Amino acid sequence: MGDRTQIQQGWRRTGLWLAVVALFGLMPRPLLAAEEGEGSENISEVLIHHTADGYYVTLEPFVTIELPRLFLVRTPEGSWRLDVFGSTASALHSDRYVADYEGQRYESPAELEELIAAHHHLYAELHPREGELVLDLSITRHYMFGLIAALLVLALFIPVAQRYRKGIGRTTAPRGVLQNLAEVFIVFVRDEIARPNIGEKADRFLPYLLTAFFFILFCNLLGLVPNLGAATSNLAVTGVLALFTFLIGTIYASKDHWKHIFWPPGVPVYVKPILIPVEIMGLFTRHAALAIRLFANMTAGTLVILSLIGLIFMINALFGALAAWLSTLPSVLLTLFISAIKLLVAFIQAYVFTLLSALFIGMSVAEHGHEHHEHEEEGNETVVHAVPTSDEAQVAVHG
Amino acid sequence: MNLILAASLVSLEPGLIFWKSLTFLLLLFLLYKFAWKPILQALKEREESIDASLRRAERALAEARQIQAENERIRREAEQEAQRILREAREEAERLRQEELQKTRVQIQQMQAQARAEIEREKQGALDELRAVVADLAIQAAEKILRESLDADRQRRLVEQFLESLPASKN
Repeated sequence: MGDRTQIQQGWRRTGLWLAVVALFGLMPRPLLAAEEGEGSENISEVLIHHTADGYYVTLEPFVTIELPRLFLVRTPEGSWRLDVFGSTASALHSDRYVADYEGQRYESPAELEELIAAHHHLYAELHPREGELVLDLSITRHYMFGLIAALLVLALFIPVAQRYRKGIGRTTAPRGVLQNLAEVFIVFVRDEIARPNIGEKADRFLPYLLTAFFFILFCNLLGLVPNLGAATSNLAVTGVLALFTFLIGTIYASKDHWKHIFWPPGVPVYVKPILIPVEIMGLFTRHAALAIRLFANMTAGTLVILSLIGLIFMINALFGALAAWLSTLPSVLLTLFISAIKLLVAFIQAYVFTLLSALFIGMSVAEHGHEHHEHEEEGNETVVHAVPTSDEAQVAVHG
Repeated sequence: MNLILAASLVSLEPGLIFWKSLTFLLLLFLLYKFAWKPILQALKEREESIDASLRRAERALAEARQIQAENERIRREAEQEAQRILREAREEAERLRQEELQKTRVQIQQMQAQARAEIEREKQGALDELRAVVADLAIQAAEKILRESLDADRQRRLVEQFLESLPASKN
């Protein structure tokens, strides 16, 4: 009885917490939509602007902070130059850059001023007046979110590591919520993700898997914070993460891995020329899928939430204010529900990415003869296991 | 236009890739050096120490069981020994008692025999003495008779008197 009430209380508390998180997640967004979208035609634009990357960070409803712009430019004389500006506006004020916005080129200072005044310069494409833009190294909001996530991970785990260094948790039990929580996840990644999928060599790749797991988790969770977003809802970010998995798998790949790709075993020789390209493609596609899966999941969550909120404004434009007011409740409840799902997805996607990374690394570092041996052992184990299970079933039937 | 905008959702900005790679590498390095290494090391050490403690505890338990079994065995043996000693002692005591009884019986019999012999001897002595006394008295009576020149009546009287003076006993 006591247990049940405790569980119920726990659920109630969790629910409350979810509600608070979800509310915070969605509250500023209607504000922003109302502010920017004069009509429903702007909603999809607003929606995409808030999901896509950009050269600013918003602290709605207060300010929009422009991020520094960095351009690597090849001058007409053929030398390289790095232009650094504090913001997009200052880059345009410097008179060295022109802006392309909605297919129109803004060149004269007056035109540029107009563009900045309309706040469109942040969505414009910048080009140097002289020379050629080689690489746009500008800091973007998704980069900032990633950086915040990285700093949070550091801020969480370095103090935890200090405790272990001091001996708490080394010889004694871990103490405190932070250390216990951190340990639960670390041990989970080690025992449930790394070791079952990589095997003996798991501990060598554990630092990477842990870093990826916590970085992705924190990025995903930042997506639930108002004014921030998930850095993982950017394909470049997830692509870099997948690239790291790919590189690690390639650098530490065993001879058997390469043999498996370039001389697939178990098929006739005339099939091998067909299988080799397939294997090579598979190598790239599975890492690409790794990147796209995470990106798509995180982006979809944001888009769905923004769309549900946008629904109110669509209805406002189509059917008038009363209908819009009536639609707020279902819209907000749905958003709340999706926010809770996003919280769940934040953990699941971090887990899935780490799991698949471990799987791919495990596939490439596995030594074949050894692997076969292990498989046989596993097979035996399952056979041995199957016997008591059937016995149990029989016992259950008899019982 | 929306399609162009939507394309920005899946754009791969080289600048972001560059910064992200750099940041992630740095994060990996910092976490590896300052977080994962000490944490994983500590966890490993703790697990090993727990493992070792468990093994030690198991060994100690096995040892304790063995010692307990040993103690139990010793106790049982001691109990059996004690019972044996007790039994032996009882038997010994019984034997001694019987012996003593036998001895006493023999002694009593001896004493009885002695006593009987003594009585017999005493009786014999008494009879002998009586005989001697009777003879003496007869002699004295004969003397008296002889001295007082006796006639036949007198003699008879005298003899009767004498016989009367004798104590009235059978022997």
